[in-house]
Amino acid sequence: MSTETRAIDIGVGLFILLGLGSVVFLTSQTLGSSGLSDSTSYTLHARFDHIGDLKVRAPVALAGVTIGRVSQISVDPMDYQASVELRIDKTFDQLPIDTFASIATTGILGGKYIELGPGGDEEFLQDQGEIEFTQSAILLENLIGKFMVNGTADKDD
Amino acid sequence: MTRSLQACWVSFSQFAATFGGFQMFTLRLLPYLPRAILRPRLITEQIYSLGALSLVLIMFGGFFVGTVLALQSYSTLLEFGQVDALGAFASEALVRELGPVVTALLFAGRAGSAVASEVGLMRATNQLAAMELMAVDPLQRVIVPRFIAGVVSVPLLAAIFCTMGVLGAYLVGVHQLGVDAGAFWSHIQDRVDLFDDVGSGLFKSFVFGVSASLMGVYEGYYAAPNAGGVSRAATRTVVITSVWILLFDFVLTGMTMPGV
Amino acid sequence: MLSHKKPPNIIEIQDVRYSRGKRAIFDGLNMNFPRGAVSAVMGPSGTGKTTLLNLITGQLVPDDGAVLFDGKVVCPCSRHGLYNTRRQIGVLFQDGALLTDLNVFENVAFPLREHTRLPEQLIRQIVLMRLNSVGLRAAWQRMPSELSGGMARRVGLARALVMDPKLIIYDEPFTGLDPIAVGVILRLIRQTNDVLGITSIVVTHDVAEAEMLADLIFLISEGKVVASGSPLDMQQKASSMVRQFMQGLADGPVPFHYPGTSYADQLQTMSRT
Ligand SMILES: Nc1ncnc2c1ncn2[C@@H]1O[C@H](COP(=O)(O)OP(=O)(O)O)[C@@H](O)[C@H]1O
Ligand SMILES: [Mg+2]
Repeated sequence: MSTETRAIDIGVGLFILLGLGSVVFLTSQTLGSSGLSDSTSYTLHARFDHIGDLKVRAPVALAGVTIGRVSQISVDPMDYQASVELRIDKTFDQLPIDTFASIATTGILGGKYIELGPGGDEEFLQDQGEIEFTQSAILLENLIGKFMVNGTADKDD
Repeated sequence: MTRSLQACWVSFSQFAATFGGFQMFTLRLLPYLPRAILRPRLITEQIYSLGALSLVLIMFGGFFVGTVLALQSYSTLLEFGQVDALGAFASEALVRELGPVVTALLFAGRAGSAVASEVGLMRATNQLAAMELMAVDPLQRVIVPRFIAGVVSVPLLAAIFCTMGVLGAYLVGVHQLGVDAGAFWSHIQDRVDLFDDVGSGLFKSFVFGVSASLMGVYEGYYAAPNAGGVSRAATRTVVITSVWILLFDFVLTGMTMPGV
Repeated sequence: MLSHKKPPNIIEIQDVRYSRGKRAIFDGLNMNFPRGAVSAVMGPSGTGKTTLLNLITGQLVPDDGAVLFDGKVVCPCSRHGLYNTRRQIGVLFQDGALLTDLNVFENVAFPLREHTRLPEQLIRQIVLMRLNSVGLRAAWQRMPSELSGGMARRVGLARALVMDPKLIIYDEPFTGLDPIAVGVILRLIRQTNDVLGITSIVVTHDVAEAEMLADLIFLISEGKVVASGSPLDMQQKASSMVRQFMQGLADGPVPFHYPGTSYADQLQTMSRT
């Protein structure tokens, strides 16, 4: 009888753990954190005028190969620029200091990611370093808008 | 013609009568609920047989619903160049709708019917009467623990269903269809809201859990004390619970959908 | 003791009227069950023997009249009072009505676990003692589905006795048992009654067993007690009703044919439609 009770207790315990674990999983997926841990990655910062619909966890790619993730996005209240935190895999820790970061799009309407173009400097970016050269997202609707009003007076954004 | 109208009327009035009796039963159960906490053992036993033993079915169901969802949506999303949103699409559908609804339907079929026939058989074999005569209230001893166990189990099962579904969609989407893993998760994080989606999904499955469990114990408790009565109780539990779940789902979706 | 004298009858049924729908099952029923005796309630199937038991245990309420247990009216008006009464009454159902998800030991322990906070060791002692008295101590681990009909009834008896009731009621305890099992149950009922000094009411339609067992026999028919007395008295009653029942005649005051129109009439009406 007591072994049966034990089995029931264990079963119920596992079930409830699994259930609560699932709730935590679902919750954490909606709040989320980047997939790369502190020990295997380092952090870089980049500032953009506009990031389009870049999302936290979007890939950071070098020559098309994913080497990191966007880990945080915020707005600098001083200059109204978007401040993006990138976590880069530690094996790619030799990015020149004049590396160029641009927000690119997969396909025409696809999601945004950050593409890095390595520069030529001898010095490398350190942890918590800042990427100086950035290009904002190309906003398709702005392009279309500019194209449409081409010839008439320029419009302020 | 008049005959089928009559049949409609009969089944409608039966439904109404069931509903009335059901409400009375629910009200009768309320005062028993607080006291049930004094005997947690009885509830654990039922969580085991209703919840833990439904796990395999629920995990299996969730996983395959997730994979199918990923396969199905992929081609459509591809057309619009939005395959990155696969994860968001699948998780939102799972967390808001499929998780709570399919879990509750599976639960009604697996556990609700089992409760109805178990309690019905206890009625038919005088076990409930025997308890009455031993001055043990069957509502407290038999009905309420099963009800509470069902109410506790269904939301947990739904959460497990959704998790398995998201993992299934991830496996198919990322490993088979080549969606970027980061994009998969980042879109989920961006699109799925804690309160609007996860919260409302859990709320729904709580409501469904209450209905499925109540229906099971109600039908069992009032089953006709013979073989036919017991099997009818099981069938009615599944049918009526399913109809209710789908109906409630419509109402709750209308209530909780942002912008409707 | 200072308490006043207990009434001589543990159960008194006073002018009870009870009907199901329009049909009166009991109409002015009067019975007294004396303390300490084994009383048998006999009657043809469907006369309301089980109904009578349900009236005694308060599962049914008489339309009129009263049922007294130990001098107090049995009344479901207060659940507490009713349950207090029921704790002093043990009922043995026809099939034992064991809880199918508990084993033999737990079935017998069930009332103790529900109503007392006795330590596990004491529960074990009481249960094994009761099981021993019905000869099933060795079967304590079996599930109800693994028991024969007679064994299930004996476990039911052990369970009915575990709370030390003042009165124990048996509904058709001999039906469907082989002769050896009948003998066992007979002995157990008598022994329980005398050794524990309790009162027993046995509902049955088995004449031979009732005569062997009972101190007092009630014969009920059509809502009333038609005869009562010791087995010897009943043998000598001249009434044709009593004779038919006690001697098992197919026809008599209780007709062989279910009442209706005549055979010829029925043939005619049925061929017309
Ligand atoms: N639940 C019920 N509803 C309607 N009639 C019933 C019900 N239970 C018993 N009866 C009727 O009451 C009468 C007495 O039944 P019962 O007490 O079971 O008889 P007995 O035990 O002597 O065979 C029977 O004629 C039966 O038809
Ligand atoms: Mg009967």
